[in-house]
Amino acid sequence: MSLLRSLAHLLAELGRTLRAERVTVQFPFAPAELPNDFRGRVTIIEEASCKGCGLCARDCPALALELERHDREHFRLIHYRDRCAYCGQCADICPSHIIVLASELVSPTHDKDTLTQVLVERTGDSTS
Amino acid sequence: MSRITIPIGPQHPALKEPLSLLLTAEGERIVESTLRIGYAHRGLERIFQNRNYVQNIHIVERVCGICSHVHTTAYCQGVEALLGLQVPPRALYLRTLLCELERIHSHLLWLGVLAEHIGFTTVFMYTWRDREIVLDIMEELSGGRVAHAVNAIGGVRIDIDSEHIDSILARLDDLERQIDTFLGVVLHEHTFQVRTHAIGRLTAEQARRYCVVGPVARASGIDVDLRRDEPYAVYDQLDFRVIVAHEGDVWARTMVRTMESVESLQMCRQLLRNLPDGPLAVRAPRHVPAGEVISRCEAPRGELVYYIRSDGSDRPARVKVRTPTLPSLAALAEQLQDINTADVPAVLAGVDLCIACADR
Amino acid sequence: MTDCLSALFSLLIFPGFAFLLLCALAFQWIDRLVVARLQGRVGPPWYQPLADLIKLLAKEDVLPTEAHELACAALPMVSLAAVLTAALYIPVGKHSAPSFEGDLIVVLFLLSIPALAYFLAGWLSGSVFSVVGGNRSLLQYFSYEVPFLMALSGPAILSGSWSIAQITAQQSHAPWIVLVQPLGFFLALTGLIGKLKRSPFDIPKAKSEIGAGPLTEFSGRKLALWQLSLHIKTAVGIFLLVDVFLGGASIGLPAPAILVFGIKALLVLLVLSLVDVLYARLRIDQLVNLGWRVLAPLALVQVLVVILIGVG
Repeated sequence: MSLLRSLAHLLAELGRTLRAERVTVQFPFAPAELPNDFRGRVTIIEEASCKGCGLCARDCPALALELERHDREHFRLIHYRDRCAYCGQCADICPSHIIVLASELVSPTHDKDTLTQVLVERTGDSTS
Repeated sequence: MSRITIPIGPQHPALKEPLSLLLTAEGERIVESTLRIGYAHRGLERIFQNRNYVQNIHIVERVCGICSHVHTTAYCQGVEALLGLQVPPRALYLRTLLCELERIHSHLLWLGVLAEHIGFTTVFMYTWRDREIVLDIMEELSGGRVAHAVNAIGGVRIDIDSEHIDSILARLDDLERQIDTFLGVVLHEHTFQVRTHAIGRLTAEQARRYCVVGPVARASGIDVDLRRDEPYAVYDQLDFRVIVAHEGDVWARTMVRTMESVESLQMCRQLLRNLPDGPLAVRAPRHVPAGEVISRCEAPRGELVYYIRSDGSDRPARVKVRTPTLPSLAALAEQLQDINTADVPAVLAGVDLCIACADR
Repeated sequence: MTDCLSALFSLLIFPGFAFLLLCALAFQWIDRLVVARLQGRVGPPWYQPLADLIKLLAKEDVLPTEAHELACAALPMVSLAAVLTAALYIPVGKHSAPSFEGDLIVVLFLLSIPALAYFLAGWLSGSVFSVVGGNRSLLQYFSYEVPFLMALSGPAILSGSWSIAQITAQQSHAPWIVLVQPLGFFLALTGLIGKLKRSPFDIPKAKSEIGAGPLTEFSGRKLALWQLSLHIKTAVGIFLLVDVFLGGASIGLPAPAILVFGIKALLVLLVLSLVDVLYARLRIDQLVNLGWRVLAPLALVQVLVVILIGVG
């Protein structure tokens, strides 16, 4: 009878639920467990190797990377975290392989300016 | 008997996405329906023309949230055809794996939504809980639960190792047991059947007239499935059945989609067990030679058509998207004629509307 | 003086308003918890129903301009008053209510007033969804009320009295009526599910079809009173069933009356929650069909059996 079958399923479910733990992580009061290849914060692992080619800015679908370039020694790479879709296209296209999407969450903030970060700044000083 | 106008939408508990359906009811019977769409229109086809081919992969992904991967698959396939690229087999297998996983997740989501609309909250909670298994697998593979960003022009951007494959296969076994339970509910649960049998009937002739595709067409007896008829990716190497029903009502659509989920699960197993080695992508040139291509895929809701025209630059000249929900929307008027007000959410859910897809 | 005080105590504390309020909140919490656990969820903490009530009382109270303001203000209060008055005549635990012959009929009548108020609220609050919900609620009322009344008259005929307290008292030295009239108990439970508008009979407030039905346009304090009256009706309905069918506080063993009563009430609540989880919502025409083609004839059979066999 379908009622008995439904009851059997329900009680099996109840058994599972009573033994299960809560899955909700009380982030940010508890650490968030992120998988290894989580596409998180956009970071530059070796700033000195950045050539200012602008391929990352050209291929960003969300227009979140901006390269202000005067010449090979004077440029600035700006990342707008609020526009970023964390797709990782910039990391894929960078010829120097210095862009990495770290396993870190980008936290929300009240201060919009913190969402704009300068990833690379080259001011022509050859000692940098 | 006096007539009242019941507005379903743009905001309504029965709708996942904004849609305006004005129903004129006489008592509990619907006599007239007026449909208006466009609330989720974002002008994406115009945006495609302002971005280069690589940027467009991610924008194409955001045409729809539930069937995001199949949109990128159709788009990348089209551009690869224009470029004359040979995508490596490992990449094709991984692409197909994600297509099928997405199909399972979409059908489970849909089953939950249908159950919720007919008041069967328990099935809603169970299906969405089991859908988490699929979402977890997709997150481990790609880093995202719904926006996977797996496809690249020329291949894929993710990889998988044998340990991971074993863990996924184990979880797919669990999922299969759960889907069998839902199949049992659909087949045997009396209240589910009285709410879905003979509701929203679409005959094969009506379905053909409106060019309905996907599970809605297959539930009306039209035996059409792009994966078998015009195989893309690695579907020609997979062994699967196309599920066809003949009643054409909401119950038939439930049967078709639930059994399709089981078939997709079998396909995932075949893909994981026979995964070939090799590179993950070939290098794709930035400028696409002039030409046009039509790329078709079987999305969870039916046949998805992408028309891409290139003019030799690094930006497409035109990308036209025909999503499977559009003909289903057209056929809605037929199904809503003379039905009970209470059956409207069941009919709307049965058609599996994806308005974001339809409006772009 | 002490008479007056004890009467006030009965009215306001136990088993009056405070007790009923506590029961309403507790039953709501247990119901939500059981349903959640059966559905694979965790369920709310114990203070959730109280928090919801306080939150609603604090919210803004708006009505559409087409709504009949006076009626919409009065209807929730009428509904609450009717339910609280009905509770006066239902014995709880050992506490015997001020009873008289025929108070079962009075209680059933008082418990029908909220249904009428609900329907009127649908028609007078000025929204398409509430009108449709109001229509459905009236249709539903006619489908479950007849079997419910007939099922409850079985025990009355068997006990030879139309007073709830008497029916309950009789069961302390006779087998519980549920054992003698199981069909009647089943019908009374089904009728109660319809009365409380719980799934599978939550048709008037079918969320996916018509918003919240008749109560769509209510908010703030009015909605709080509506919710309160519906939840106290749950408690009152369960108490009624426990008294009439399950023998009230009697168990044949020496045990604290209120504990026995409480356990029986919780068992009935558990059955209601289980039915909530097991089935999909019916359509109104399917319910009318069910009510008149299945439930009413069964109720008739039960009453006939009682008349022919039970008495004498």
